[in-house]
Parts: sequence; C-alpha cells; structure tokens
Amino acid sequence: MTQGILIKNAYVIDPLSGIRGEVMDIAIRDGRIVEEAPPGSQVIDAGGCLTLPGGIDSHSHVCGTKVNFGRYMSPEDMRAGRTSRKGVMHVTSGYSVPTTFGNSYRYSTMGYTTVLEGAMAPLEARHTHEEFTATPHQDMLANTLFDGNWSVMEAVRDKDVKRAAAIVAWTLAAVRGFAIKLTNPGGTEAWGWGKDVANIHDPVPHFEVTPAEIISTMIQANEILRLPHSVHLHCNNLGVPGNFRTTLETMDLAPPAQGNRQTLYLTHVQFHSYGGTTWRDISSKSEDIARSLNSKPQVVIDMGQIMFGRTTTMTADGPMEFKLYMLHHNKWSNHDVELETGSGIIPVYYSRKSLVNCVMWAIGLELALLAKNPWQCLLSTDNPNGAPFVKYPEIIALLMSRRMRENERKEIDPRTEHYVPLFALERELDWYDIAVMTRAGQAKALGITRIGKGFLSPGAQADVAIYPLKPDQLDPSVDYQQVMAGFSRTLYTIKRGRVVARDGDVVVEGANSTIWTRSRVPPGYDMGSDPEFTKKFDQYYTVRLRNYPVQDVYLPRGVCIETEAAL
Amino acid sequence: MRVILKTRPRKKPHVPIEAEGIIPQNFLRKNDLSVYEGNRERHLEDLFFVTVEGPAVSPDQVEVILTGDTGRIKRVGEYMNAGRIIIEGDIGMHCGNFMSAGEIIVRGNADAWLGREMRGGRILCEGNAGDYCGAGYRGEKRGMRGGTVEVMGNAGDFVAEYLSGGEVIVHGDCGDLPGVEMRGGTLVIGGNCSRPCGNMTGGTCMVLGDPGELLPSFRRNGSTEAEFGGKKFRMAVFRGDVANRGKGTLLVREDLKSSRP
Repeated sequence: MTQGILIKNAYVIDPLSGIRGEVMDIAIRDGRIVEEAPPGSQVIDAGGCLTLPGGIDSHSHVCGTKVNFGRYMSPEDMRAGRTSRKGVMHVTSGYSVPTTFGNSYRYSTMGYTTVLEGAMAPLEARHTHEEFTATPHQDMLANTLFDGNWSVMEAVRDKDVKRAAAIVAWTLAAVRGFAIKLTNPGGTEAWGWGKDVANIHDPVPHFEVTPAEIISTMIQANEILRLPHSVHLHCNNLGVPGNFRTTLETMDLAPPAQGNRQTLYLTHVQFHSYGGTTWRDISSKSEDIARSLNSKPQVVIDMGQIMFGRTTTMTADGPMEFKLYMLHHNKWSNHDVELETGSGIIPVYYSRKSLVNCVMWAIGLELALLAKNPWQCLLSTDNPNGAPFVKYPEIIALLMSRRMRENERKEIDPRTEHYVPLFALERELDWYDIAVMTRAGQAKALGITRIGKGFLSPGAQADVAIYPLKPDQLDPSVDYQQVMAGFSRTLYTIKRGRVVARDGDVVVEGANSTIWTRSRVPPGYDMGSDPEFTKKFDQYYTVRLRNYPVQDVYLPRGVCIETEAAL
Repeated sequence: MRVILKTRPRKKPHVPIEAEGIIPQNFLRKNDLSVYEGNRERHLEDLFFVTVEGPAVSPDQVEVILTGDTGRIKRVGEYMNAGRIIIEGDIGMHCGNFMSAGEIIVRGNADAWLGREMRGGRILCEGNAGDYCGAGYRGEKRGMRGGTVEVMGNAGDFVAEYLSGGEVIVHGDCGDLPGVEMRGGTLVIGGNCSRPCGNMTGGTCMVLGDPGELLPSFRRNGSTEAEFGGKKFRMAVFRGDVANRGKGTLLVREDLKSSRP
C-alpha cells in the first residue's frame, strides 16, 4: 500500500468543510486526509481539475436476493455491457442488473466510493453480505426492511415504542444492517392477503395497524436508538396517479429535526409525486411536494429520476410490481419473505414516446430544481428502477443545463409540457449543488460523516474523486456534453488512500468494508432472550433464532457504528 | 470478389472459435480481422488459409467460402447485411445472428441457434439444424423478425421460438415445442414434431407430418387447403393458444386423426 499521496492543484469543492471551489493541495497518509503528506509520497497533479470527496449513493439496489433474481430472470440484460478481462478487472456483463464486479467497476470509474443498498430483507442478509464482498471498490451499507415485520407490527398495535426499538436494535445487529427501511409500510404484508393499503390510514389486515402508525412508531424508535441515519421510507402508493396526497401526508408525520439530522428520509420521491386520477390524466405535482419539502428541514428526499431506455424495476413493494405487470404483461417475479417483507421484479422500458414516462422523467428533475436546499434533495435513480446508475452524469448535465433540457424537450412526447412545469424552470444547478447532491448531502443524511465520509478536511477518510473537468474554464449550461463525459469517468478515484481507478480503468483489487450499526440496549430490552420474540422463530420462521444472526465471517472488514440507546 | 477461408489444422480442434468478424463487408477492405479461439485472441490468418480472388466495390459483391473443419466455428455471419457466405461443411452455433440481408448457405449441418433473431436475408441449410433454429435468445421477447430460414433436413427442439416475423421452413422433422411463444411470421414443418406452438399469440404454423397430440389449448376453426412441395393437402385449422388469448393459426393434416386435442 502506498504510504502517502499528495494531490496538487486540485480545484476542490467540499461542502461539508465549507470549501466552495478553491485550488489547493490535498495530502493523504494511511488512508486518511492529513495536513502534510509524508516524504516520498506519490504526487498527483490535478492540474486544476474538479476534485470532490468520493461519491456516495444513498439509495441503490446492487446486492442481494432480489437483484440476483433480476439477473437470472433477464438473461437478455447480460448481453449488454460486456467487458472482457483487463489487468485486475474481471469479466463483466449486464446493463441494468450487471454482475457485482460490473457494478463496482462502473461506480468506481464514476468516482463513487460508498453505496447504500436500498433494501435488504433481514432473513436474506447473508446473501447481501456475500455480494457486498464481491463489490470490492465501494464501502457498503444495507438498509434493513422492517415494513412488514410481524413483531414490529404487534409492537405498533400495542403502542409499545420501546419494544419496537428493541426489535430494531436486535435485528440490525443480527443482520449487520445499517438503518431502518420501510417499503410501502403495511402494504407488502397486505399484499400477502391479496390486498394493498390505499392510503396511510388504511389498516393492514389481521394486525389492524395503519401505515401512519408504523411510520410514526419507527421514527420514534429510530430516535430512541440514536441511529446515525433516520428512517428511510419508500412511501405507500408508489406509481399510483394522485399519490402526491399520500406523500404530503407522510411528510407531515416527520417530527422536528434531531440536532443536525433529518428525521425522515423519503426515497425516490419522483415515483410519489403524481397528480391526476388515471394514467391518462397523470400530471406532475412536484411543486406541491417541493413546497412541503422547503418548509420542512427535517425531511430529506432523493430524486428517483427515471431516464429513457431499458431497465429492470425491483422493489420490496410487491403489490406495486404486480400493478406494473398488469400494464406490461411481460416477465414478473414475486417473492415473499416469511415474517418480514416481500418483493417483486419486472423489466421495463421507459420510452420517449410514452406521455406517462415523459411526465415521470420531468418530475424527477423538477424536484431537484424546485428544492431550495440541495442538502434536502439528493441525486439518485433508485438504481436500477429509474435507470441504471451509469446515467447519473446525464442527470447532472440536465440539472446544470437548461439548454440540454430544451434539446430533450424536442425529442419527447410534445404533450408533456402541458402536464409538467419543468420547461418553465430556469434554474441551473452549479458545481457546489452537484457536490452536495452526490456526496456531501448523502454523507450528512446517512450520518456517516462521523466515520470520516463525505468531506476532505484532515481526519476524513481519503476517498477522493478527480474529474477531468475544469470548472473555471467550462460553462456547464453550454458544454453539457463535456460535463456528462467528465462525470462518467474520473481521472483518479482514490479510496482509503489508494488509487483504485484511473481514466476509466480499475487498477487494483479492492477491499471494501461494510458499515453497520449496533445500539447498546439495557439487558431488559435484549430481544435475543425475549420469550415472545423467540416463539415467532420457533412457530413461524424456517430458522431458529440462534441460527438467524449473520456470522462475522460474512463481513471480512466490518465497520460498526455503536450508539447508546435511550431506553 | 471471392474470399476462401480454409481452416488450418489445429492442435486442439475441439476448442471453439468465435468468429463474428467473418461477414462479407469486413473483407471489402484489407483489414486485420481477429477471432477468438477459446479465450485467446487470434489473427484470422493464424486459423485460416485466406485466399482472395477478384475485386469488389460493394459488400454485396463479396462471397465468403468457408471450407475445412468448420463445425466448431461460432457466430459466422453475425450482423451480416450484404453479400453471401457459403459453408462447405458443418457450421457451429449462432450462425447468422441478427443478420439483416444477404445469404448464407450451409452445405452440411448447422448447430444450435441458426439465424437467431434474424431480421432479414436468407439462410439455407442443406443438412440438419440444431435446437433453437430461428429463435430468440434467452429472455428475449422477440425472436426472428424477418427473412427466411430453410432447413432441408431435420431441426432440433424449440424451432422458431418467439418467432415474430419472416419464415422458417423445415423440410424434415422438428423436435419438441416448435413455434412455442410465436408472435408472428410463418413456420412450416414438412415432417413430424411434438407439441407445436404452445403459448402462441400470432403467426401461422403448418405441420405436414404428424404433430402427435396437440396441446389442449387450441380450438378447431374449420378446414382449408394448403400446398407444399407441389402437393396439395386438406388441412384442419386451429386457433390459439387459447390459454394465452392467442390469435395464432395452426394447420395440421386433416387425414391424420391422431392429432386431435
């Protein structure tokens, strides 16, 4: 391992340290940013190129059972994106659901060093962790699904927040998860009975709790456990015309911010901002959502932008995927995870000729342009649901260039402009906004600045991305093609003080770590010895409680964030 | 212009060769073609004696002739759009993938996936063809979309799976499930087969041999007359696949009573 690196003449934007574009040097030693590089360090001349902290994706589906199911139900996808072996790089294939190494290399060449897997079913955590180790160039985190967890729903029914918190604490530690993910809370469980929940006050069959109760209880439990991240929520009614009301109601559930951190993270909000009543009169309600967001500093969202082309949708939201299947009549997979959650997968094609798809495309961009504070609206495509993450550079260019949006307007369905406000928006994001929306905002929202992620001041982890873009010589509103090309391929991607990718090629074997959380709870709240909780395993699960936790062997380089629960 | 490619003797003749570069338009100019032998990249000249006769100004004047031990050469004629390829012996898998125009003649047998996802042009196989002749690849919703594949011998299983346009003619027998998931186009089977056209939603399939017991999801819809090989036949018409709300047509011989669902 290289002892040190000195990056000279870097045009640094580091929002968390308050650096808004300064030419400076960055010194790295033993995987950390330091004041001064040790003698004999490797010197990299950035030549005034844009230098940012390593990219962080706060919602992406890259590892785990449903991603893998997407792989084997779409062999045609493996025909795209093939690359042959090159140096240390393995053979890769696939476009929307590539091989794990494919994901890792592509993220790495785009300058991403940390990725959060958006949904991990606790029961299937081992598989997710195995794929994490095969995604070697990114530090990984796993959102853990609690949306249909029977024990949690029973605690919610009994209005026992502390018990819910104890269940979360035990499960996160057992499956090495990072944060609470709720996907269509209650809806996936209702889908097990052939139903769905129509709004957040619609009770779940048998448990008789409403999604609103589940969300509120889990937010409280999350704050009791003092987890680094907030509740990560995929709202109810995804993809249903008129669902913006549900989203607004859900945003109202978020209590005031805890310190510096949000209390509710809404993911892929584009899919939740539809007006109208049917697919025929679907319209954009991004303005309503953005207005609510701008008045609530306690909420953070990510875009969930869709981009035109082929992709695969996969989510724990089983009923939604069934509705999509009824539209497309193509392949469909549905999956039930015992007492926890479910999932569904179908391949889709987003077309410029489809008015619905064009409206969806516009909504994502509108959310980013209408959100006043870039820290509150992060860039994502909900990879691969909206588009594979390799489209991020194109989204960045669209956000930075009104001219590019106008050019795209000529290509899409001409009726679109009557349904969306996008083309009236003049805002063009700047380099700082993009730096916030692709790394600093994620680091803050996920609460991983405490382990040195997302910034470049001394003490931070040495995750750095140097892009071949010279912000002082480039006008992104005109040169959007260059912006796109630049963000697709770094000059250097440095992870933990090692150059991992150069000019689009990965140059070393990776060694990532998996970040997980453990909340210390008083002995009375240890679910591992709770008879009622153990009975669930004995009676209903296919595994016993003692066999359920993920062994350390699955996390060769685990990084645990410990918190003290206020129980 | 005529390009003759004669295989050189190889130490390991069983290692397959992937030769998607062998298409007429690539020989128009002298350029260095490479092919893969197993996982090793090779120059075309390392594996073939190459002889070029005469000039050509456009790809449709180029004729490529493959001779020798050609049974393990895969992907010949992939994305071909003009000219002609004549294979004197057998040919390996995936011959004529995605071809859009031109002609391929195989004097021997063809391995699986002959003319897979073809869009146009013509393939004539004088011997037998393997499985998935004129089919779509794994996971693909649409297979062959245009052009003609004619097999003088027999063909394997899953002939014309996902056929959505064009014509597949097999003079001999077919294996199991020919025309399964058909969406359009025409499939003609001169000999016997089993379980034709499951899940078909469109197109026409004609079986002149014994199709065995038809799938129960086809509904009788009158009779008609058809001609094949200069002979006239009374054909029973079936519509289906009813289970898939299909509107395809399956024609079977009226005189073969064994084939009623």
